[in-house]
Amino acid sequence: MIWKFLIYLSMTAVIILAFVTTSPMSPASASGDSEVYRIFYFHVPQAWVAAIAFLIAVFFSVRFLQTKNIDYDIKASTACRLGLLFSILATITGSIFARMTWGEFWNWSEIREVSIFILLLIYGGYFTFRSAVSDEYTRAAFSAVMSILFGVAGIFLIFILPRVYPVFSLHPNDSIIDESGVITMGSTVALIFALSLVSFTALFLWIYKISVDINLSARYRAGER
Amino acid sequence: MESVNWTAKVLAVTGKDITSEFRTRFAVNAIVMFALVTLTVVSFALGVLSPSGEIMAAMFWIILFFAAMSGLAQTFIKEEESGTALILKLSCPGTIIFFGKFLFNLLLLIVLAVLIVPLFIVLLNSSAENWAVFIIGLLLGIIGLAGATTIIAAIVSKASIKGALFTVLSFPILMPLLAAVIEITKTAFIGGTFGDISAPIQMLIAYDVVMITLSVMLFDFVWRY
Repeated sequence: MIWKFLIYLSMTAVIILAFVTTSPMSPASASGDSEVYRIFYFHVPQAWVAAIAFLIAVFFSVRFLQTKNIDYDIKASTACRLGLLFSILATITGSIFARMTWGEFWNWSEIREVSIFILLLIYGGYFTFRSAVSDEYTRAAFSAVMSILFGVAGIFLIFILPRVYPVFSLHPNDSIIDESGVITMGSTVALIFALSLVSFTALFLWIYKISVDINLSARYRAGER
Repeated sequence: MESVNWTAKVLAVTGKDITSEFRTRFAVNAIVMFALVTLTVVSFALGVLSPSGEIMAAMFWIILFFAAMSGLAQTFIKEEESGTALILKLSCPGTIIFFGKFLFNLLLLIVLAVLIVPLFIVLLNSSAENWAVFIIGLLLGIIGLAGATTIIAAIVSKASIKGALFTVLSFPILMPLLAAVIEITKTAFIGGTFGDISAPIQMLIAYDVVMITLSVMLFDFVWRY
């Protein structure tokens, strides 16, 4: 119960602070209206949570392959489901952000937009595949193998490709930590951003724990333990 | 049987696949006819237009990618459908099977490339300015294509909607490969040098090594079902 209230409080604080304080981007260096940049407080944490969800799924996939315990498969697939949700959110907020600052809802030459689209395809393929296999252990083993393969391909797409082709990226690379490792955000901005990051992560972990409990007990009740 | 060395076993698996392929020619027909049809449609659609070398490089890989998608899953699907999968699983360890099938897919793609490249030049009136770059890019790309899709083919052979699922699952995994290899082929078509493509080539080699290693490690988990 305490976690629920803490998360409610901190999320409310983030939402209010995001709109009440001055915008994170100064009007001088903003393309478009600098007020729009407030979406940064929500967009980046969502993308961050989507990546964390996927890492959790890969971790539990490896554990399943090591131990053959179906509980790990349930944990991995729940993480993927939530990861899909947060990826969709990140795509929507990113698209709105792009329309307001770069002028178009979608632009295929922006490498990070391509990466998030591929991430959505990965989740889509994962769940399509899970629905195509009926045997529980086969489905679990294959899902585990696939999430590891997808994870490695995802690392290539999300971290390596944007660095290899920086000309294809409109995303600023130095808004959080610049090349010398110094944090470039102002202190108020950094505070609200950190609070937002923590709140979104806590929200994800809370929803994740409840979902895993529901799925595990559903399986227990069905007598398959 | 300890005297039979590892390479001989791998080549035996590949040899068996080549022999059965010569008898029915399913996979070769599928791949080559698909590529020919796509090439014809592209050539017909372009008509008198002569797009730049960059666009033709992308067209080349579209044709190659979709032809690969139509035919590379055949090695495992054929095993499942003819009922020989179980005997194959009993006869050797997974790694040997993986390399045998990987070499077979590689040969299939080499045959495809040898047939398509001359036709591409003739029908679409477009050829590479720098052949060394083109050939190296083609070889590394084909190795990556075969390496990453062999394990997916094994996974898909147990599912119910094999063809579409294979494409859906392969595409996110092959995205980094396609990005790098199209870049290299574009440079080859417009006449760049090896210096221009050092970044994509490094990423391509890294991708090939990582994906093949990962596939070898994960193949046993898939093959056991």
